[in-house]
Amino acid sequence: MIERKVDLVVIGSGPAGLAASIKAYKLGLTNQVVIEREKYLGGVLPQCIHPGFGLKYFKEELTGPEFIQRFIDKVEEIGIGTFTDTTALKISRKGEVIAVNKKLGVMKIKSKAVILATGAREKTRWDVKIPGDRPAGVFTAGLVQKLINIEGYLPGKEAVIIGSGDVGLIMARRLTLEGVKVKGVIEIMPYPGGLQRNIVQCLQDFNIPLYLSHAATEIRGRERVERIKIVKVDENLNPLKGTEKEIKCDTVIFSVGLVPENELVSEIGIEMDSNTLGPVVNDYFQTTAPFLFSCGNSLVIFDLVDYVVENAETAAEGVNFYLKKGMKKAEERKVSFNKKIKFVVPQRVTCLKDVSFYLRVKKPEEKVFLSIKEINWRKYFQKIKPNEMVKVNLKREELLKIKGEKITFKLVRKS
Amino acid sequence: MSKFFLKPSLKTDVVIVGGGVVGCSIARELSKYKVDVVVVEKEVDFCQGASKGCSGIIHPFVTPFNSLKGKLCVEGNKLMDKLTEELDVPFNRCGLLFVSLNRKETFFLFLVYLVMKWRGIQVKFLNKRELRKVEPNLTNKAKCALLFPSGGVISPYELTFALIENAQKNGVKTLLGTKVEEVLVENGEVKGVKTNKGVIETSYVVNAAGLYSDEVAETAGVRNFKIVPRKGCMIVFDKKLRGYYRHYVAEAKIKQDPRTKGGGALLTVEGNPLWGPNLKETGSKEDTSVSRKDIEEIINTYNVLFPDFPLKIITCFAGVRAASEKGDFVIERTKVKGFINVAGIQSPGLTAAPAIAKMVTELLRKEGLKLERKGSFNPYRKRINKLTDYPPEEQDKMIKENPGYGRIICRCEQVTEAEVVEAIKRGAKTLDGVKFRTRAGMGRCQGSFCTPKILEILSRELKIPVKKITKKGGKSLILLYKIKELLKGA
Ligand SMILES: Cc1cc2nc3c(=O)[nH]c(=O)nc-3n(C[C@H](O)[C@H](O)[C@H](O)COP(=O)(O)OP(=O)(O)OC[C@H]3O[C@@H](n4cnc5c(N)ncnc54)[C@H](O)[C@@H]3O)c2cc1C
Ligand SMILES: Cc1cc2nc3c(=O)[nH]c(=O)nc-3n(C[C@H](O)[C@H](O)[C@H](O)COP(=O)(O)OP(=O)(O)OC[C@H]3O[C@@H](n4cnc5c(N)ncnc54)[C@H](O)[C@@H]3O)c2cc1C
Repeated sequence: MIERKVDLVVIGSGPAGLAASIKAYKLGLTNQVVIEREKYLGGVLPQCIHPGFGLKYFKEELTGPEFIQRFIDKVEEIGIGTFTDTTALKISRKGEVIAVNKKLGVMKIKSKAVILATGAREKTRWDVKIPGDRPAGVFTAGLVQKLINIEGYLPGKEAVIIGSGDVGLIMARRLTLEGVKVKGVIEIMPYPGGLQRNIVQCLQDFNIPLYLSHAATEIRGRERVERIKIVKVDENLNPLKGTEKEIKCDTVIFSVGLVPENELVSEIGIEMDSNTLGPVVNDYFQTTAPFLFSCGNSLVIFDLVDYVVENAETAAEGVNFYLKKGMKKAEERKVSFNKKIKFVVPQRVTCLKDVSFYLRVKKPEEKVFLSIKEINWRKYFQKIKPNEMVKVNLKREELLKIKGEKITFKLVRKS
Repeated sequence: MSKFFLKPSLKTDVVIVGGGVVGCSIARELSKYKVDVVVVEKEVDFCQGASKGCSGIIHPFVTPFNSLKGKLCVEGNKLMDKLTEELDVPFNRCGLLFVSLNRKETFFLFLVYLVMKWRGIQVKFLNKRELRKVEPNLTNKAKCALLFPSGGVISPYELTFALIENAQKNGVKTLLGTKVEEVLVENGEVKGVKTNKGVIETSYVVNAAGLYSDEVAETAGVRNFKIVPRKGCMIVFDKKLRGYYRHYVAEAKIKQDPRTKGGGALLTVEGNPLWGPNLKETGSKEDTSVSRKDIEEIINTYNVLFPDFPLKIITCFAGVRAASEKGDFVIERTKVKGFINVAGIQSPGLTAAPAIAKMVTELLRKEGLKLERKGSFNPYRKRINKLTDYPPEEQDKMIKENPGYGRIICRCEQVTEAEVVEAIKRGAKTLDGVKFRTRAGMGRCQGSFCTPKILEILSRELKIPVKKITKKGGKSLILLYKIKELLKGA
């Protein structure tokens, strides 16, 4: 068994993990390792061969592989120790990471801090409760993306996509370009789940029908998928009688959202946020276990990789701060929000620095103010939508004006 | 997979039709004797029928007590400890809690208690306080309960695979993807069976064909029963909820609602809460679909017991019970010499399977089969070694000996490459074959991550192209084309 002592272990080598690792290295944390369970570095980006990455961070439009290659090159250039094909199995309360690898066996890595950048998993048909038969031909969108872009296989030739999340939209276009007939994208809400630019570029440009306010009700097929049943729904999402319809297809692809992956820390007992499904963190992205930091999609589902990188770099600064100076926990203020808001990250604020807040609303709203009750801060939005994460930057000086222990975000209609 | 034809010379003493838990139990029992046995199964793997679609309860009893199923259930239950120990199959005697929610049911429980005492079935009365202590999350409407400590849960597929592996080790032959089309009878005696791959000569046929046992019996001219298919749907929840309750819990309903009869809330041996089954007569032997209504029905039924249970569904599935129209098991010799029916094996067929096997062995003896004990019989079988069952020091050794243990394939259930390879060695040929032997793909992501890796390993180990790999045989192909293939014609 290999035993090692390091200052920092980064788990996951997606954009979050690599950005955090590089930043930490630049801050002087050179004794660190990155652990990645796949055979290659990069997380999901190597399979995202479409453009649309890095507009904010690099001010250039890149494909996923191009975007991540810049980070991989940097990691290799400065010589950060990376272990691919290596899975972290456990993290102890004291920060010891157990990982396994074919060649090296079990690795016990004692570390002073751990950054969790384990990404997300996809929701399945059962998360959205689509019953029926259980034939071959039912996939999640990210899996199809990997099968096509990495493995070189097509699932079938007539597909229906359930859910209009970005991954699904991008796969609708990708499948069409491969000669697969995409017979429709089914979305239960009256608005799409993905970014507007993807609705235009991936569906409209290819004449793929988008069924808004439609629910899939059943998958049928004995051995392989044969058809799917859909129905129109009213504003309360209840099915409307007489609108049932069947679509013949051999493939059903679910694109119904992602869930932050945090199995590794479920035993440590850190505080979790039931709205994000990620850990509760402060503005350094430190969890309630002081040695443990969280960033990227395992913290909260981001829609832009640029934000992922940004918060990962802050997490690295947090680790540096924690290791070099220590962080006093008592001074944190709690973030709360009103009913129209789904979540705000970070959930705690130290008021030691400027903070970027990431939040999502529950429903599309028009002509609204986002405000912070405790200080005289507000921002006007002509339109605000659940599928586009909102980022709010606040200066430390403003935060310091807060008297109590709470910061309350409110979304209110302009009166 | 090469399609072979049986040479006319394939001869055996006994043919068992059906590779479910019943057929495999009989095969394993017969492997203790000096007889040649062939198990013929129409699907590409064992355990594809009711045995896969069942909830895995080892019942302490079923009523009526004097029925054949009532007797074999109690007997089978008693045989389970030794059997699972020999076969290294996880078995949890978690106990059955029969809970009263109102005064009428409490009264009913008292009656049941007396009957059970009289019958000699282990039972304990728990008052409200005792009940709260053992099941704190149970509804506070629960008044009291009866605890049957001999009730338990098992993984039905793990048991079936273990039985057939052990039978094979002791000389039983198996033919998968082989369907018995006709039982050949001459002068009132069994001569053989005709399959889609050729004829097998034999003097004894055990008809353990589950839902199709009536049709098989008909080809032998002895169909004196009818199979009424009864579907049952079940919901599996996230393992994270494993601590929510500990027993197999059911409400002590006086008049059992026929739609939920026999169901309960249990914890599988792997730790997933499982609710159900319900009961539907669909008229179809093949329909294993689950509808929204089924899901609602099951949730409404068991929510009464656990009102605050977080409903984190991982999957739903269904099985079809092969009930005989009379309601009891049909295990008997027939007017055709050498032909034995083992039919109508609905619930508690899993529990009863070891006892059924012993009974069938005796019937075969009476039928004239010479049964002489085999000195070389080895009762033991080991389960697939799982990396995460061991502490890090052991894990390190395992990986050094077999590097495949160092690569995690399924993240949710933490299954390694070595485990997948071993499952394939033991007979898995499909994605489901790997899944039911290792649990890869059974967790919360339902295969979103491990599918490409398992396809790669199946293709490599079985030396077949990825495009030929199926989910469960037949036309259940997973990937239909290579990229660019659909563009060629365009
Ligand atoms: C189809 C698709 C299209 C997208 N399109 C865009 C776009 O156009 N523009 C844009 O800006 N963003 C886009 N995104 C979003 C962006 O890709 C993600 O936000 C980003 O990849 C998240 O990065 P991450 O590092 O948090 O997670 P990931 O990239 O998922 O990386 C997590 C890594 O952790 C590893 N890991 C997890 N657990 C363990 C463990 N126990 N041991 C070892 N390793 C582990 C995983 O294998 C994985 O490599 C898209 C995403 C998808 C899926
Ligand atoms: C929803 C449900 C829940 C249940 N819960 C429980 C429980 O909790 N406890 C319990 O004790 N019991 C339970 N049971 C009952 C139990 O599952 C069955 O009694 C048991 O699995 C029957 O096993 P079998 O081998 O007879 O049938 P099967 O498993 O159906 O096996 C029959 C096999 O025969 C094969 N076959 C059919 N025709 C042919 C042919 N012509 N040629 C070759 N092969 C053929 C089929 O492919 C099949 O594999 C449940 C059943 C269901 C459906």
